[in-house]
Amino acid sequence: MSASERSASNWLDANGGVFIAGVGLHPYQFPSETPYTQLGLTAVRAALTDAGLRWNQVQSAYVGTTSIGMAAGRVMLRHLGWTGLGVTQVENASASGSFAFRQACMEIATGMSDAVLAVGVDKHGDGRRAANKDGLERLSDTATIPAVKFAMMARTYLRERGAKVEEMAGVAVKNHANAARNPFAQFRKPRTLEQVLASPRVAGDLTVQQCCPRGEGAAAVLLVSGQAIKRMGLDSRRCVRVRASVAGSERDERQYGDAAVELVRSSARAAFEQAGIAATELDLLELHDAFSVEELLYSEAIGVCEPGEGARFLSRGGSQIGGRCAINASGGLIGMGHPLGPTGIGQLAELTRQLRGEAQGRQHPQAHWGMAHMIGLGSVSIAHVLSAAT
Amino acid sequence: MTEPQTPLKPLHPTLYRLAQDGHSLDFFFVQCRACDGLSFPANVPGCMHCGDPLADARKLSRPGGGELLEYVTLHVPLAPGMAAPSIAGDVRIAPGIVEEGVIAASDETRLHPGMALRAIAQVREAQGVYACCFVPADAEVTP
Repeated sequence: MSASERSASNWLDANGGVFIAGVGLHPYQFPSETPYTQLGLTAVRAALTDAGLRWNQVQSAYVGTTSIGMAAGRVMLRHLGWTGLGVTQVENASASGSFAFRQACMEIATGMSDAVLAVGVDKHGDGRRAANKDGLERLSDTATIPAVKFAMMARTYLRERGAKVEEMAGVAVKNHANAARNPFAQFRKPRTLEQVLASPRVAGDLTVQQCCPRGEGAAAVLLVSGQAIKRMGLDSRRCVRVRASVAGSERDERQYGDAAVELVRSSARAAFEQAGIAATELDLLELHDAFSVEELLYSEAIGVCEPGEGARFLSRGGSQIGGRCAINASGGLIGMGHPLGPTGIGQLAELTRQLRGEAQGRQHPQAHWGMAHMIGLGSVSIAHVLSAAT
Repeated sequence: MTEPQTPLKPLHPTLYRLAQDGHSLDFFFVQCRACDGLSFPANVPGCMHCGDPLADARKLSRPGGGELLEYVTLHVPLAPGMAAPSIAGDVRIAPGIVEEGVIAASDETRLHPGMALRAIAQVREAQGVYACCFVPADAEVTP
């Protein structure tokens, strides 16, 4: 949490507040020949329709993407009309879309604009990473590969918590089941525990079905100021409010392996403080489950369950749709997919549908508060808290 | 100190060199003048502990090794050219410095967190180089 975020009562309350008025997605899918423009435009047009906004009312656009290349936004958005809006491309690995959304929030809250698009779009790329261009040699060829890091975290988690491999694999079972009910998900088939455990092993105790797939897709949200909702004739009952937006990056770890978890813990805590709620008040949580163990670790770090209780919270149904806090109701990165640029915005779109009561087939009952939490390579973190219209 | 005679080159010359015994490795570190902390490798553009630019910092070599913190078997090749299965481990090679390394063990049964490891040369004759791998500190290594 930055000093300004700690001291401000809530910067998101300026300009009448920041609201999500429309969401749209192109289903996540395995790499294909479909041009990214087609993916992105599908999502943006759906968001415009959902909000009831015209393209020429949108004053600015932030485009989260990792692998398409320079100037992806303008090349895509010109097909909606040459309106002269500001276009900014945002890249922050897995969290690219989340950071595009945060930029849009800032633009609304400062009063610079009243209607802003945040869109994430990506094609599967070649995985080029800045960490491999820093001029430093490494002892291991896999030193910058997340699957290895998380496999080691999984091993430590299982040993220290006394948890079983089957309990960790339960994350994938739950999230594949949720994804099967999400028409925008890359995987649409439920998986049994036996199937998850029998799928090919990748690293340590992680099997293929406990890892997110490669893919592509798009997700878009349209943000408006509270001042503009009435002026633009929008339906305020379908506008979901942004209550917190907090970003951070890793600090020196105090003990081996705790840096990523501490990052999640501190960013979530700051977001709850900004939103004025406790972690236990969350009804929905979308988080970075690129690997199954992350959901167990982060559900504890974020505070929806007690430290050390992540596996048991899952096995008791606490994180199921209809449980105390539905975690990754969308299917998460494991089930819905992780096309990178869109992923964070896809989380916010899912929360919006849930908080409106429009998540057909997977609706969590009486949903009022939701958090979208993302991690990006590096590591960076970002947390957003949303609330339903009151 | 004279270096052992070998026609082989280090695969990562900024990280290590062959030690006097001809099979262990010495790692290259840099010591910060501001905080005395060690950083690895020696050509980092800033102290890992305090951010000092390390302009006049002392470079030094130390016997390569450390404490095994965690390890897993990689069941598939996750990087081009790597063998699978293989074992990767996080090793604390100096105070405050954890690096992932290749653990030269046939399986995980001989490994446990907290055990001492040492770095040895893994010869790749065809490439004319030696790479780094870690073995238990008490393992016998044939030069």
